[in-house]
Amino acid sequence: MKFKVEASGLRDKLSSFLATAKGSKRFVTGLMLLFVIAGLAVFEPVINAVRLGGRKPVEIGLFERGLPPSLEHPLGTDMLGRDVLALVLVGLRYSLMVGMMAGGIATIIGMVIGISSSYLGGRIDVVLNSITNGILILPTLPLLMAIVAYVRMDMLLVSLTLAVFTWPWSARTIRAQVLSLKERPYIMLAKVTNLSDLEIVFKELLVGLIPYIVASFSFSVIGTIMAETALRMIGLGPAEIPTLGFLLGWAMTYGALAQGFYTLVLAPAVLLVLIFVALNLVNTGLDEVFNPRLKKITGL
Amino acid sequence: MSIPLLELRNITKVFRIGGGLGLFSTRTIKAVDSVSFTMPADKPVIVALVGESGSGKTTIARMILGLLKPTSGDILYRGRSVSQWLKENRLEYYKEVQPIFQDPYSIYNPFYRIDRVLKMTIRKFKLASSEQEAEKMIVEAMREVGLRPEDLLGRYPHQLSGGERQRFMLVRILLIKPRLIVADEPVSMIDVSLRAIFLDHLLSLRDKLGTSCLYITHDLNTASYVADSIIVLCHGRVVEDGSANEVISDPLHPYTKLLLTSLPVPDPRQRWGEEIDLSTLETFEKIKAEKGCVFHARCPYATDECRERAPPLIEAKPGRRVACFLYTS
Amino acid sequence: MKSLLQVKDLKVYYKSIWGDFKSVDGVTFEVYENEVFGIAGESGCGKSSLVDGILRLVAPPGYIAGGEVIFEGVDLLKIPEKELRRIRWTKLAYIPQGAMNSLNPVIRIEEQIIDAILDHKQMSKRKSRQLALSALKSVGLPVEVMQMYPHELSGGMKQRVIIAMAIALKPRLVVADEPTTALDVVIQRGILQLLRRLKEDYGMTVIMVSHDMAAHAQVADRIAIMYAGKIVEIGFVYDVFEDPLHPYTKGLISAIPSIGRKYVKGIPGLPPSPLNWPAGCRFHPRCTYATDVCRSVEPPMREVSPGHFVSCHLYGEKA
Repeated sequence: MKFKVEASGLRDKLSSFLATAKGSKRFVTGLMLLFVIAGLAVFEPVINAVRLGGRKPVEIGLFERGLPPSLEHPLGTDMLGRDVLALVLVGLRYSLMVGMMAGGIATIIGMVIGISSSYLGGRIDVVLNSITNGILILPTLPLLMAIVAYVRMDMLLVSLTLAVFTWPWSARTIRAQVLSLKERPYIMLAKVTNLSDLEIVFKELLVGLIPYIVASFSFSVIGTIMAETALRMIGLGPAEIPTLGFLLGWAMTYGALAQGFYTLVLAPAVLLVLIFVALNLVNTGLDEVFNPRLKKITGL
Repeated sequence: MSIPLLELRNITKVFRIGGGLGLFSTRTIKAVDSVSFTMPADKPVIVALVGESGSGKTTIARMILGLLKPTSGDILYRGRSVSQWLKENRLEYYKEVQPIFQDPYSIYNPFYRIDRVLKMTIRKFKLASSEQEAEKMIVEAMREVGLRPEDLLGRYPHQLSGGERQRFMLVRILLIKPRLIVADEPVSMIDVSLRAIFLDHLLSLRDKLGTSCLYITHDLNTASYVADSIIVLCHGRVVEDGSANEVISDPLHPYTKLLLTSLPVPDPRQRWGEEIDLSTLETFEKIKAEKGCVFHARCPYATDECRERAPPLIEAKPGRRVACFLYTS
Repeated sequence: MKSLLQVKDLKVYYKSIWGDFKSVDGVTFEVYENEVFGIAGESGCGKSSLVDGILRLVAPPGYIAGGEVIFEGVDLLKIPEKELRRIRWTKLAYIPQGAMNSLNPVIRIEEQIIDAILDHKQMSKRKSRQLALSALKSVGLPVEVMQMYPHELSGGMKQRVIIAMAIALKPRLVVADEPTTALDVVIQRGILQLLRRLKEDYGMTVIMVSHDMAAHAQVADRIAIMYAGKIVEIGFVYDVFEDPLHPYTKGLISAIPSIGRKYVKGIPGLPPSPLNWPAGCRFHPRCTYATDVCRSVEPPMREVSPGHFVSCHLYGEKA
């Protein structure tokens, strides 16, 4: 009789995880919201091409200036005659791109530092941990402001800069979890089965870190988008990267509210909030999935 | 004189505790203090290392397994130091020295099925040349331990009972066939009624495969069931050792006597006589004093000398060592 | 002997997609005042579910499928939640398994005990502090413990803190679930002797649940052996150990490794699953004495000698 000796159960873990995750309303809501937002961002070029007949959304004077919301312009037009909905979709796309890139870089740096620090221990841990805590203490915004004001930025540089100030959070979370996992007997068993440190990290530790990595990523994305928005509100940051924050900042500078261009201010703000809400829901939802007891406390 | 299988020479392990991740503090704990003992190579034996929590027994286990480095002293396996083995012949060392851990649950990575442990072992130690051969080995080993492959393979750790999980570790041992098993409290987390079955496997490993075992426990009941010889550890120091029969029937050190009388006998007619005074059981200051005998704070025979100097480990009777001033004359 | 607690045909089931896990499937016994009553059995026999059922702590997917738990004349399973809360801790205390690990690590011991007291009975802070102090004293802990944090205490001390919390309001009945796991042997003896003192010095009734028969031998007055969701034997501890009636009890006792025992034998086979208890006597697949009637008819509980009950066809009706 042949027995199927499966080495990895990740596929089954994934399917059982999905089954449980379906039970968390927060997770599902957040995920759906994320899909909608991401979908809008991904299909923005198509949507805008269709709506604007191939012209670029940022072209001035495309339409009449200052039109109120209508069927043709669901969010109206701004003072330069641009369709607000088109602008906002462009902004969403760039915001997400910067957020994901910066969040991704931050998470990766955080993972590498967090895992090395706690797994290797000793002096390495002291040094890396001090650096992590050091950056956390730094006044992020002024430093960001200084860097962005003086250095010519492209998308990658912006993401990198933002990531540099965001990774410590991921590093700390992941370090804490690795510290708790690495003393587990199954790690010791792996060592006496002659697995190398790298094998142990990738095969044994990483699985246990997945929820923390996802959480770190969510928080990093939120953090970097927020930081970027803050900078934009002060007028800093490259204009070639028209994120939602840029839109907001630009609108405020030109006194959009005072002139009655409400949608120009509300739309980006609401979208930003929706991004944060969606990511947060996914995060807390994941927490509920992995800690079912929380469900009862949160009442959902 | 032949080279012993395992030799500990004056092994000491000091931990730094406190702030700065332990690197900037001066508070230390001496978990293991000048421990020496040997296990012979000429015949397979089961040696019980007996001590309560805080005795340093788990620290010693980790050092033998190469998971921790001693602060001073040497651990020699077949004449070579463990650190040398790990540097030059790591795979060979682990083919000969393997652990059994205490907690049947956390020895498995909860994200993977239990077979993975075995497959990884076979792969890493190159125990089989094909997948079919590997499966055959696994099934055979499982049957030998009394587990049903049809029922257990392909399951996750939480789907097995504690006894099954612990016995599954024996399957892993059977696949590797080490020369020395370092078993750290292997039965203390399974039901009393299942312990004998597990320990019988240790005995059969000794008798049929010639595997020696360092059996670490706080329970003299199970130690008396499996051990050929017993070493008693108290706060990091060896206080008594000798053959199992002699240590149990004629305990010399007061601590050994305390351990023996504290055992619950499964006979209502033999209940514990006096009450243990709970307030003397534990105090906050490290009961182990910096100077003097490790046991003086709890010893009914303690004298001033006991509080001042640490008694040396001497051979009080042939084949029996004890560290107590009661026996120095 | 006056009866303090009567459990009648208690059933605790757990819902699952494969059906109901009948962890406790019709358990009946009585506990008298001022005795130590041991409930013995291996892991998976249902003892912890039994305790959950008695104390009405069963949470979904578990549910109480039937039976009564009469404590001081009142059915604990039927009274309103408010009344149950008044009884808990003041008359009925519970020491769950591994409780010593659930002490709040960031709150001092003093506060934790006082919180537990005030949660269940109104009184001045000063009075609660006094009660806490006297509880600590009765478990042999010095007053300094009040100001300490859990991580500063050893396992044995933490367990004693838990016991102190349970007895602070001088309950009539204390239920302890595996009170000595993970403790060293000398401390185990201390804790077991402490539980016995609760009966002897403070007049309490103690129900101790443990898989360790030797612990029961040292401490219990009467003992109930549980197997596959049912009680198979009850009796005074001397009788049960001297003359075990049920084959399972015999197996349990002879499986204990103990100094001086040359012959230790385990029980062959594996415990059955609560999803699918065997028909007839649940022990029959592993029993060397099993006959046809054992495979089909569940044996009733009979009193074979005064105070010694067993559920086994070997002890049929006397002719």
